[in-house]
Amino acid sequence: MTAALPETAENRYDLGFARWVRDNVEGGDKLSLCMQCGACSGSCPIGTQMDHGPRKIIAMIRAGMKDEVLSSNTLWNCTSCYRCTVRCPRGIPVTSIIQDLAAKAVEFGYADKKENALFAKSFWWSTSAFGRTDERLVTARYYFSLGFLEGIRRGLANLKIALGMVRTGRMHLGMPHKIKDIKGLTAILARAAEIEAEEANDEL
Amino acid sequence: MPDGGTMVIEKKSGIYLCEGCGIADAIDVDALEALATGDLKTPHCKRHAAYCSAEGVAEIAADVKNGDVNQVLIAACSPRVMTDRFNFPGAQIIRANMREQVIWSHPPGEEDTNMLAADQLRIAVAQAGQFSPPEPHAEAEVAGALLLVVGGGVTGLTAALEAAHTGAEVILVEKTDTLGGWTRKWSRLLPERPPYRDPQPNDIADLIAAVEGDKAITVMTNTLVTSTAGGPGAFDVTLTQNGKNQSQSVGAIVVATGWRPYDPSLLEGLGYGASPDVVSDIEFEEILSSGEMKRKSNGDALNTVAFIISGDSDRMPYSSGLSDRIVIKQALQLLEAVPEAMIYVMHEDLRAHGMAEEFYRQAQEAGIIFQNGVVKSVGADLTITLEDRLIGEDVPMSGFDMVVLSTGMVPNSTNVDLEPAAKGADQLVDDVNPLAALLAAAKAGDGEEKAEEAPAPDTSEEADQDGANGEAAMPGGPILNLQYRQGPHLPVLANGYADSHFICFPYETRRTGIYTCGPVRRAMSVAEARQDAQGAVLKAFQAMRAADKAVSVHPRVGDLSYPEFGLDICTKCRRCTVECPFGAIDEMEDGYPVLNPTRCRRCGTCMGACPVRTINFKNYNISMITDMIKAVDVPDEFAEKPRILVFACENDAYPALDMAGINRHQLTPYVRILPVRCLGSVSATWVSTALESGYDGIMLLGCKSGDDYQCHFVKGSAIAQERMESVGATLESMMLEKERVRTEEVSIADSARVTALLNDYADEIKAIGYNPFKGF
Ligand code: SF4
Ligand code: SF4
Ligand code: SF4
Ligand code: SF4
Repeated sequence: MTAALPETAENRYDLGFARWVRDNVEGGDKLSLCMQCGACSGSCPIGTQMDHGPRKIIAMIRAGMKDEVLSSNTLWNCTSCYRCTVRCPRGIPVTSIIQDLAAKAVEFGYADKKENALFAKSFWWSTSAFGRTDERLVTARYYFSLGFLEGIRRGLANLKIALGMVRTGRMHLGMPHKIKDIKGLTAILARAAEIEAEEANDEL
Repeated sequence: MPDGGTMVIEKKSGIYLCEGCGIADAIDVDALEALATGDLKTPHCKRHAAYCSAEGVAEIAADVKNGDVNQVLIAACSPRVMTDRFNFPGAQIIRANMREQVIWSHPPGEEDTNMLAADQLRIAVAQAGQFSPPEPHAEAEVAGALLLVVGGGVTGLTAALEAAHTGAEVILVEKTDTLGGWTRKWSRLLPERPPYRDPQPNDIADLIAAVEGDKAITVMTNTLVTSTAGGPGAFDVTLTQNGKNQSQSVGAIVVATGWRPYDPSLLEGLGYGASPDVVSDIEFEEILSSGEMKRKSNGDALNTVAFIISGDSDRMPYSSGLSDRIVIKQALQLLEAVPEAMIYVMHEDLRAHGMAEEFYRQAQEAGIIFQNGVVKSVGADLTITLEDRLIGEDVPMSGFDMVVLSTGMVPNSTNVDLEPAAKGADQLVDDVNPLAALLAAAKAGDGEEKAEEAPAPDTSEEADQDGANGEAAMPGGPILNLQYRQGPHLPVLANGYADSHFICFPYETRRTGIYTCGPVRRAMSVAEARQDAQGAVLKAFQAMRAADKAVSVHPRVGDLSYPEFGLDICTKCRRCTVECPFGAIDEMEDGYPVLNPTRCRRCGTCMGACPVRTINFKNYNISMITDMIKAVDVPDEFAEKPRILVFACENDAYPALDMAGINRHQLTPYVRILPVRCLGSVSATWVSTALESGYDGIMLLGCKSGDDYQCHFVKGSAIAQERMESVGATLESMMLEKERVRTEEVSIADSARVTALLNDYADEIKAIGYNPFKGF
């Protein structure tokens, strides 16, 4: 479990947030190294589709803009391509910071209604359950997590495409495919969770 | 030499025409020889394939040794090179520049190039005619190596110790009762050793102990210098300790009076005074030294702290990158004491140059956050409003326990504890910013109050005469109380820093034998101040030795010549005493000028100033240049060959012209170049002589003037420009275009630019047309 977020008054800005990121977010301790050169934002293939590019997200963290950072679509639109991390002249793990902030956004309820977050959850459910993504199940779970009626609406809207894919052998019918050693994957994930818990304990 | 005057020695000239370096291929040396032996009446004329060869040198040396010649005129390379080879004791050396300024910058074999070469030879012969060997000035009474160091801070302590180690006796004077100055208060110092990442221990106590333990150093605390007369080698100083006077003769003086803090309450809107938790960097240093990292208001721990580096333009001249490095140092020390602290540095610009980049990196790696933006305000609750340039909005930041304001160092170029001097407070502050010193005073200590107290500029008649256009009262009293005609103060530059050329000649003041070092001349760290002290001490030694040998110091190092005053025709106009950049000339009671030869730098500014032309050097004088101007064969206007006379300062402009030759830039064939010691030495009479002789244009090439001057004699170039402005008025009254006389500033690296300047000027002069006086 992550330490609780600082209580923010009406204020958009709270320096406590910067301190919290430094202490709780993966790579957050490297924030001070950022010299705001913008190499990350310039390299980001998705930058134009983000509320704020990665450079600005870092500036906003430092300025303590908690709500804006945690509800920004930057966290969800990031494709984890790692260009920013590779190109940052100061060696800041920008991608890790963004990804971990996304996880924290979920943890603290900033992403309850975020479609990207809901999609990510469905995606993770399929991956961890079968070791694979099953398009049908991921899509269905994602649509219905938007609400029952919305699930029906979106499902119908995409039915034609789905049938087309089935016809051309792009989507199969029947039970979801699993990887061979699903037990092994489950064990790996369990161990990862253990390690995470241990680390969280160590930090306390 | 006894008073009986100069012994007259018959001049026996020999001309040596060098054929090397392609000279013989490019110009007609036979014609030059004919000119030498014919029109120039110098039968002793020889040629050699390369005079700089051992054989060539031997040939000249033999002629000198046999007594055949005592004036050696060498027509070869630039006078700036081969000086070690073309050095024949017992003979005067005169050089005609045939290589750099003729064959390398003009096309070979052309009529114009040959005309130029012939003129170069004529000029050299004319120069020889008015050139006598300089003799040392009579006074050479020297106090030996006794050095006075003023100021007992880290700079003065280092200077004293270095001088003692170099073999001088030292008197170290400190106005307070303790040594060590501000440095004593510093918890730790900036890193000065690899890896340049951590603040390092303050070892000032060791330095104080070393000075106190050195037998060659006499420390005098509670002491002021209340009078300084004389000159290098034999300054006559009065030291006043607890009201008791003591006279002392010293060879040179090092001024290390340091600085005082910039008043943080002048940082508008940054909350100083609004809360006890807004402190200056100096005050924060005390907190670091005490080890008690607590809020001043309520004693709470320092968990979140902001340092503000403001871009306030009034503060800027006193801050420099040093203040920013101090912020980094203090932030790192705070973090070391309180590892959990969140530390912000809010800066408009962050100046961490050179190795300080490592220090900056260290701070970033340690977790200190540097936030770029303009701090708009700091509230009493320590809320900072930052115009964050990288987010693009005003960010209110709250929750700070303390706000530290970076301040700056105001130079102690005067003693603000003293009343302004009764006489001579109308100090020439320089032609840069007459109010600079006043402004500097207002920045320090109790700010505006001081400025009001400072006396108004003296507007008495005398002051008007002295001041030209740049005079203002200095705050406080003088540090050395110079008994000089030009006033008691050391001249200062913009913002009150002691005058010195920042890069080229940092310790030189405009008072020969007196060297400033440390923060009195620019904001600097302890390590830099120590280095500075070493430099100034070496300069002081040079000055003492030069005085001993009756020769000049920088930039005409070793020059024996000095200006001689023909008082019989002197009109007591006092121009020379006022214009001498170095205060070398005092006035006798009867109003006549009197030279202090050890203070003189041999620039010739006095010579250029004298309206009756009665100041002259043995080897550089009004008649000599006049003859050189007239020696040039100026063609009549039907020849369609204009002539442009160039007075080129030998410090930068002349070398730049040589460089133009070395780089094979092609110069207009119409110019004739005469080197001068400084543009300040250019007499208006030379300009009128040139116009009367039919030159069509005159250009003065000198060094940069102003507060970032490069003039090697500090004010010579500025003075020349002033003079030429009045020449412009005279030209107009003569119905001549004022474009015919022009002054340009060049640097030694400007070889391409100087070529273009001259070539463009030649075109311009052609367009204006010929000098109507030509041929009269
Ligand atoms: S990892 Fe994310 S933030 Fe970084 S460049 Fe790729 S998409 Fe952009
Ligand atoms: S590339 Fe690195 S240093 Fe540059 S703005 Fe991005 S995170 Fe900061
Ligand atoms: S003007 Fe120059 S040459 Fe003349 S006295 Fe002063 S320093 Fe010497
Ligand atoms: S400038 Fe010439 S005339 Fe005037 S005081 Fe000096 S020496 Fe005399």
